[in-house]
Amino acid sequence: MAASPHEYEHDHPHAEVSDPNRPGYYDIMETAVRELLIEKKLIGADEIRRQIEVLDSRTPALGAKVVARAWVDPAFRTRLLTNGRAACEEEFGISLYDDTQLIVLENTDKVHNLIVCTLCSCYPRPVLGLPPDWYKAKPYRARAVTEPRAVLAEFGTILPDDVDVRVHDSTAMVRYLVLPRRPERTENLTEEELAALVTRDTMIGVVPVTLNREAAA
Amino acid sequence: MQSETREATGAQYGVVYATGEELVFRPGDQVRVLTRTPVGHYRVPTYLRGKRGVVDSIIEPAAVDNEEEGFGRNAGNRLHYYRVAFPMSEIWAGYAGSPRDALYIEVYETWLERM
Amino acid sequence: MTGSEHLVTRLPNDIGGLPADRIEQADHELAPWEKRCHALADVLDFHKIINTEEKRCGVEALGAEMVAKLTYYERWIVAFSNILFRKGILSPTELATKMDEVDARWTSAEDK
Repeated sequence: MAASPHEYEHDHPHAEVSDPNRPGYYDIMETAVRELLIEKKLIGADEIRRQIEVLDSRTPALGAKVVARAWVDPAFRTRLLTNGRAACEEEFGISLYDDTQLIVLENTDKVHNLIVCTLCSCYPRPVLGLPPDWYKAKPYRARAVTEPRAVLAEFGTILPDDVDVRVHDSTAMVRYLVLPRRPERTENLTEEELAALVTRDTMIGVVPVTLNREAAA
Repeated sequence: MQSETREATGAQYGVVYATGEELVFRPGDQVRVLTRTPVGHYRVPTYLRGKRGVVDSIIEPAAVDNEEEGFGRNAGNRLHYYRVAFPMSEIWAGYAGSPRDALYIEVYETWLERM
Repeated sequence: MTGSEHLVTRLPNDIGGLPADRIEQADHELAPWEKRCHALADVLDFHKIINTEEKRCGVEALGAEMVAKLTYYERWIVAFSNILFRKGILSPTELATKMDEVDARWTSAEDK
């Protein structure tokens, strides 16, 4: 049967009325790669699901527990600063992949530490989860190593001249975690209450821990 | 066991180490980042080439060169990364901060020379 | 002297010290496919099919334009594809065919 003229006039491409949930190009690529690898038995179907659970389980709350423990337990603090990986494994059962080391950097009244990965996005994922977008983007990565004090000031952190700033550029098999300073007037807080004060950004080193957690966020 | 300890012990028993088995640098050594310009993958940022610093610590264990790992090498030929401290003023002319501000980074043995 | 050597000697990700803007303190919740992509990276590394350094190398090899214009996980999945081709694990035809098949699942759903 011949097509009527109307069929050609109203020939809309599918995309105009497509489902907003329709996956984009890269989403489709990811699905295709994954399914092919599973079909070829190079990875197991369950492994991706399982690894997503692992990723979801890692949040800054774990790092906060490490910090709070170091604040209340001087022996743990010493072990943590001596060998961060071993201390986290022994005390909290945290697992780091391969030979990755963890160096914990203590902020004091004389030294302030800041972490960056200029080349990519190295981050202590086993204790902090996934990094924020700004950590992975050009402005932070380009400027944290040239003008750390200006970068800190953008986050609201002003340091006096008698405090040394140390920037740690993560490029190989070491991951870094800042042990921020314990705020004053917290002697009566429980370890759990202390951990609740410690946000992700305090452990990257861009802000100090403050009593008002909401103000710091 | 830490390499320093192993070597100290080995020295007492006449152990002779093969290429790549011995530590090349120790904490406190003054070092300079080489000025190679590789084609392709590298993990020492351009901003550090030729800069002088001090070895802060030795990273354990010895590891595969990550620049070779980038091409699929997963094992063998392990050397050490050394954590090196660079004064900011050494890296950036006209650095606007404290003269005691510093940058720390782990550098593979193949990128350092003794000063 | 061609004046292009800097394109070869400075990788697109080697940005420490370059001029840059104010930090936009942005963050976003990962889309489901992005999280799957991250999980895929970890699983590929675990099996030593693509190790983490190979992934970084693969992202660098996309070149400055793609590194600038693709988002973080978009760079990863394209890099993975290229590496898998190079290793003979997948072929471009295989992947393209499978992508069409995945895409078609949505088309046929919409036709209903």
